[in-house]
Amino acid sequence: MEKMKLMLVDDEERFLATTKKLLDKKDIEVVTAANGMDALEILRQKNIHVVILDVKMPGMDGIATLKEIKSRFPMVEVIMLTGHATVESAIEGLKSGATDYLMKPTGIDELVGRAEEAFQKRQRLEEKIRLAQSRKFMKSPRDILRDAEKPE
Amino acid sequence: MKPNQYSTIRKIILTCMILVPFIPFISILGTGYYYFANSLEASTTARLKRVVDDHSQMIQSFLNERKADLEFVQNAYTFEELSRPQGLTGVFQLLQNKSSAFLDLGVFDQAGVHVAYQGPYQLKGKVYNQYEWFKNVMRQGYYISDIFLGYRNVPHFIIAVVREENNRKWVIRATIDTFTFNDLVKKIRIGTTGEAYILNAEGLLQTERRSGGSLMEQDAHYRPHLVYHEDMRVFIDTDERKREFLYVTTWLKNRQWQLVVRQEKADAFKALRTATYLIVIISVVGGVLIIGVAFFLTERIVRRMEQMDAEKDSLSEQLIRASRLAELGEMAAGFAHEINNPLQIIKNEQTLIEMLMAEIKQKGELKDSENLADIEDSIKQINLQISRCAEITQSILKFGRKTEAARQDIELNSFIPEVIAMVSKKASVNGITVTQQLQDHPLYVHADPSQLQQVFLNLFNNAIDAVIERHGGSGGQILIESAVATDGNINIHVRDNGCGITPENLNKIFSPFFTTKPVGKGTGLGLSVCYGIINNMGGSMRVSSDPGSGTTFTLDLPAGKP
Repeated sequence: MEKMKLMLVDDEERFLATTKKLLDKKDIEVVTAANGMDALEILRQKNIHVVILDVKMPGMDGIATLKEIKSRFPMVEVIMLTGHATVESAIEGLKSGATDYLMKPTGIDELVGRAEEAFQKRQRLEEKIRLAQSRKFMKSPRDILRDAEKPE
Repeated sequence: MKPNQYSTIRKIILTCMILVPFIPFISILGTGYYYFANSLEASTTARLKRVVDDHSQMIQSFLNERKADLEFVQNAYTFEELSRPQGLTGVFQLLQNKSSAFLDLGVFDQAGVHVAYQGPYQLKGKVYNQYEWFKNVMRQGYYISDIFLGYRNVPHFIIAVVREENNRKWVIRATIDTFTFNDLVKKIRIGTTGEAYILNAEGLLQTERRSGGSLMEQDAHYRPHLVYHEDMRVFIDTDERKREFLYVTTWLKNRQWQLVVRQEKADAFKALRTATYLIVIISVVGGVLIIGVAFFLTERIVRRMEQMDAEKDSLSEQLIRASRLAELGEMAAGFAHEINNPLQIIKNEQTLIEMLMAEIKQKGELKDSENLADIEDSIKQINLQISRCAEITQSILKFGRKTEAARQDIELNSFIPEVIAMVSKKASVNGITVTQQLQDHPLYVHADPSQLQQVFLNLFNNAIDAVIERHGGSGGQILIESAVATDGNINIHVRDNGCGITPENLNKIFSPFFTTKPVGKGTGLGLSVCYGIINNMGGSMRVSSDPGSGTTFTLDLPAGKP
């Protein structure tokens, strides 16, 4: 089974560092990004399954980053991390395609739990896609050719 | 507004309301009285004057006529003719036929000897030349006497005229019945006390006076007025019995007699007195009415003003409180948000320390010791305190949030018991009796159910805490009551018999972060949040408390539709 690859996006360097250490100890593969642009760059380079995204960041904020991620990498699951316990920001995040939301301060176990859930959701989705694609193989070789011409 | 300002306003309104109607009111009454009194006086005087005028002429002409009668007799008959008894008798009868006032008739020669007499007495032969009247008539040519008693000892007056015939003077004299003359004057009657009488130059009554005073009686009191004057004189004087009279006088008979017409002032001006009484009564009643109405209206106006000011004050107070709460809410939310970020880091650091400690211990690099136990305890405590901080920031954020409430019509008779059920366990554990007194018919309010539930839970929990503080494990009572207010709003009272709230705390009870609970037990945001929720709903929240006997929270909510 594939291992979950997690990315943390937050403007708090210390939060990123400590959380990374904790996740390392839990043997979870994690990368960190200090802002939205970095996060998008990393996503372009690496296959990341789940992104934990802080809502409030200088520069490109969480919601904008989320929208960008969802438009460019629709398969990536995003969990919003908010210091603002308002339902609005959570709703807005969910409407924009976030899988879940977490409120600061959140425990590491909670964070991992939610990330696992999101990862499993992605796994199920990928499974379905694989299944659908395999059906396509059986159906029409021309489609396969066409798909091949058009990279993802 | 300050109370002394109200008293100033009250004084101003009162003064205006009394003075403004009073000035025209008194002016009208005063002017009316003045002109009425003037015209009444003028008309009364004119009436008396007319009476005097008419009667003085009548009396004068009566006297003149009698004199003319005698002159006619003297011209028509000779001295010799009249000296004969039969001749005089015939003439006397003729005179009596003309006027019954003639009592007797006598003829005198130049020497004053009574030559002939026709009348009830035996006077023939008497000599009169030493009498004043005889001297007068011889000198003047005629004489009209005052009323006197003379031989007959009855009041009468005489008219005598003289005629010169063949160088010989002779006199004819008639006695005029005073009663006939009396009647003429006495029958004058004006009002009830108006009367007329004649006085001679000595102040003796020449006619009977209706109000008392017989013929020949002296009217001493009147004496000062017996001075001669032309035409008529009008004056007011009091008589011996201190009654005020309005007098009109004129002189008659060559200034020998004075005709007096008088009327008691009270009688003459009776209408004026009646008018005066009426004016006084109207003034008093009107004045009392004006003052009464002024006081009544002023009191109402001022009270209404006070009420409106109080309403305005409480409204602006509410507005200030609401805006202050909103500002505080925003500030608190921002503050909580900023706290949450470092809190997150601390939490993660704490977790890391915990993990590392566990690893080190596992590896056996760290020996169990008291200090180690203390460190572990501290780490745990840090975690606890972080959780506590998190709780506070959550509450603050809840308080500050401006969510659109999803309102719907809620039926209280089913909603309230549901909420009570949530706290019933806690209540029964602490020996608290929760009583519901809900209206028989369903009551609806328009509110967000989750928010309303939050408000109720907050109030119930507060009530339970207050009751426990006072009664401990038993004897607590909480009463939830619903009612329809007079303005149609729904009122819900949550009453407890707990420890109560002191007046100074009562003022701050809805302020955020105000709490009387020990540190760590309450954030001081509960009631503040409730207040905001109810305000948003368009309702209001009130509290009244009696320290030592309990507290009542009242929710005033707009009614919903069934």
